[in-house]
Amino acid sequence: MQPGPSRRRLLAGAGAAGAGAVAGGLAGYFAGPGGGGVTSHAGAGGDSDQAVPFYGPHQAGIATPAQDRLAFGTLNAVAGATRGDVRDLLRAWTTGAARMTAGHLVGEDVRPYAPPVDTGEAVGSPVSRLTITIGYGPSLFDHRFGLAGRKPSALAPLPPLPNENLDPDYTGGDLAIQACSDDPLVAFHAVRNLARIGMGVVEHNWMELGFGRTSTTTAGQQTPRNLLGFKDGTRNIKAEQASLMNRYVWAGQETGQPWLRGGSYLVARKIRIFVENWDRDYLQDQQDTIGRAKVSGAPLSGGTEFTPPDFAATGGDGQPAIPVHAHIRLASFEHNGGTRILRRGYSFTDGIDPQAGTLLGGLFFIAFMKDPAQFIRLQQSLADDALNEYIQHTGSAVFACPPGLHPGQSWGDTLFT
Amino acid sequence: MNMDGNGSGHRAHRRSASAGVAVAATLVLLASACSSSPGSPGATTARTTTVTIDLTPEGCAPRPAKITAGQVQFNVTNTGASAVSEAELRTSDLAKILGEQENLTPGLSGGFALDLQPGSYKINCPGAAQQHWAFTVTGKAAGPSWASNPQLAAAVASYSGYVDQNTARLVTHTQAFCRAIGAGDMSQAEVLYPKARIYYERIEPVAEIWGSLDTEIDGRWENPVTVASQFIGFHKIEQLIWADNTLAGAPQLCAGLVSHEQQLLALVRSAQYNPLEMASGATDLINEAATSKITGEEERYSNTDLPVFQANVDGAMEVVSLLQPYLQHQDASLLTQIRERDAAVAALLARYHASPGYDDTGYVEYSTVLDPQRRQLSAAVNALAESLSQLSVQVSS
Repeated sequence: MQPGPSRRRLLAGAGAAGAGAVAGGLAGYFAGPGGGGVTSHAGAGGDSDQAVPFYGPHQAGIATPAQDRLAFGTLNAVAGATRGDVRDLLRAWTTGAARMTAGHLVGEDVRPYAPPVDTGEAVGSPVSRLTITIGYGPSLFDHRFGLAGRKPSALAPLPPLPNENLDPDYTGGDLAIQACSDDPLVAFHAVRNLARIGMGVVEHNWMELGFGRTSTTTAGQQTPRNLLGFKDGTRNIKAEQASLMNRYVWAGQETGQPWLRGGSYLVARKIRIFVENWDRDYLQDQQDTIGRAKVSGAPLSGGTEFTPPDFAATGGDGQPAIPVHAHIRLASFEHNGGTRILRRGYSFTDGIDPQAGTLLGGLFFIAFMKDPAQFIRLQQSLADDALNEYIQHTGSAVFACPPGLHPGQSWGDTLFT
Repeated sequence: MNMDGNGSGHRAHRRSASAGVAVAATLVLLASACSSSPGSPGATTARTTTVTIDLTPEGCAPRPAKITAGQVQFNVTNTGASAVSEAELRTSDLAKILGEQENLTPGLSGGFALDLQPGSYKINCPGAAQQHWAFTVTGKAAGPSWASNPQLAAAVASYSGYVDQNTARLVTHTQAFCRAIGAGDMSQAEVLYPKARIYYERIEPVAEIWGSLDTEIDGRWENPVTVASQFIGFHKIEQLIWADNTLAGAPQLCAGLVSHEQQLLALVRSAQYNPLEMASGATDLINEAATSKITGEEERYSNTDLPVFQANVDGAMEVVSLLQPYLQHQDASLLTQIRERDAAVAALLARYHASPGYDDTGYVEYSTVLDPQRRQLSAAVNALAESLSQLSVQVSS
């Protein structure tokens, strides 16, 4: 009475097909790393049998070329969870994440009377550049787990910021899991299975799915569009820009917590876009609001998409070509003392607003940075952003993401020593 | 918990298949009719005998026609009989089909597997010149392997007693509930309703073996009952008392409820269980607490969810206690984890203890337990269920 084809049979089938260059769906998720390196596939999208290395100096999923899909879960430790429980969980997560990102199931089933080790929905799905990135929230460092002395001084809930109306159901969390893949099922499967592994130690806090990347994180990627219809991330830091990554993204000697060095801070903001209102705005005003041409992505100061904006340029009327309240002006590093961050957000939708009957969606903003103060500065600058008329920040969280691992090492090893 | 007919359908089927065996004690079939998976854990280690049956215009002679007891694989091939398309294994009186392979047109093959006890059987192939063929199983009746483990055997025997006792108390407490209704004593009926319910909620996965009785006793509106005339059990009376504030029609419903419970009592007294059913039933009970109790769906009119939540947990942990002597050797760390997680649930439930409590239940009214608190309870029972789900492999390995 086992429902459907058993995984054992599928596994056997994959094995029987041989370890050679077998393409095809059956071997799919079991196919393992397709080629290792990712830099030659910066175009993303179709390289679905590609695996991204799990081990390295930094966690994957930060400098990795942004995948098309996101599953983001935050979890809280349950009452009574102990320091040992959390440490064991992080070890189990490491094992599971290493397997899944290599294209394997969490575990194989050899016992017909045990619940399947892996939930199974990704069987047959290529790994699709799955990355799993974890982060520790400020609350993890409270009195419960003896980690207060390990708390980075920069890790704290964000202060009240302009244009936010935070929903407590989408705020905070002890732990975060960012799973990115070009296949939404593979990303979801990763979060679901890690949460399942954690049952009894952690529980879901909130979760969001992202269906389209809104940022370019490497030079070869085409700039995607957000739900405003505009190209987003044209001026983002690119992973190839090592000096910028070291200066603005990777935690270094400035942190007093050695366990964090090589890691990064993740700021997540759920930003609702009032799309109906935006769609009613006339084209020129949309362009003035952003500071770019809608179709080409060129700054209103002229040129093409990648022409640096000239914030001093004026138009025929003598007014600034990029208006003073334009989003790209206020968010620019030129306007913020050089402050930059690595954006890695996704479009999201939660369906329909049950009260208003309008689309409930927007930008699930994720950014990585050396210090959350970078985001705070930028967001404070956006207090006068013309775009604020059309958006509202409704969820918020900040996490410290530990550095990468080498084989044999587990998440939490350096934090819990 | 399987009343909505989805989710755990295959599990309920497996339970009903093997429990049915014990009810009809003379039946020789131990396995379910499922051809690919063993129906009892003990069967997994048994030697399998293969019997070949060719469907021909003349008939369906089994080769060999005499085997020793145990797991049997029947391989059936239609070698060219256009008038014959199936082979059945029947009891020797032909009264009951034990296994079959249908729809074999010429050239096609199929088969089925069973665990057979000693006795005489018939292979039947309608349409052939000779339709009935003798088939004999010799040797010693092979009991399931768990039966030779004293700790598991004792656990199963004790669990049988637990189910009998709780079902008997279900009947007597429901009768008391019905007397209050018959006397028109609404407030007394309110107090006695949850007191009867808890006995059912301790053993519900067993009651679900007899699916229609579960619906008749415990069916909720729209889960699965969607026809008013079939909404006749506990929850219909609950609706009358708490939502409609009337006892009109309740005495007749209550008499029917008792009658169904008495049928259940007769069935459970002749039923036998196995460790796998006990283990999966324990998980089912906690799953039930985690879904219909947490949401308040189960006792939506009376808000008496907390005592029946407790009953689900009690029924599951009774299984754990009975299996404890075995589990201590098998997987002591799992046992420890289950105990810890049960303690966590108990600690959360204790927050809602009250004396005498809402409707004398010992608990507060469930509607006063707010969403964040329910979420805490949910996390704790889900953790417990996750641990309990590892029991089944322990008792079947």
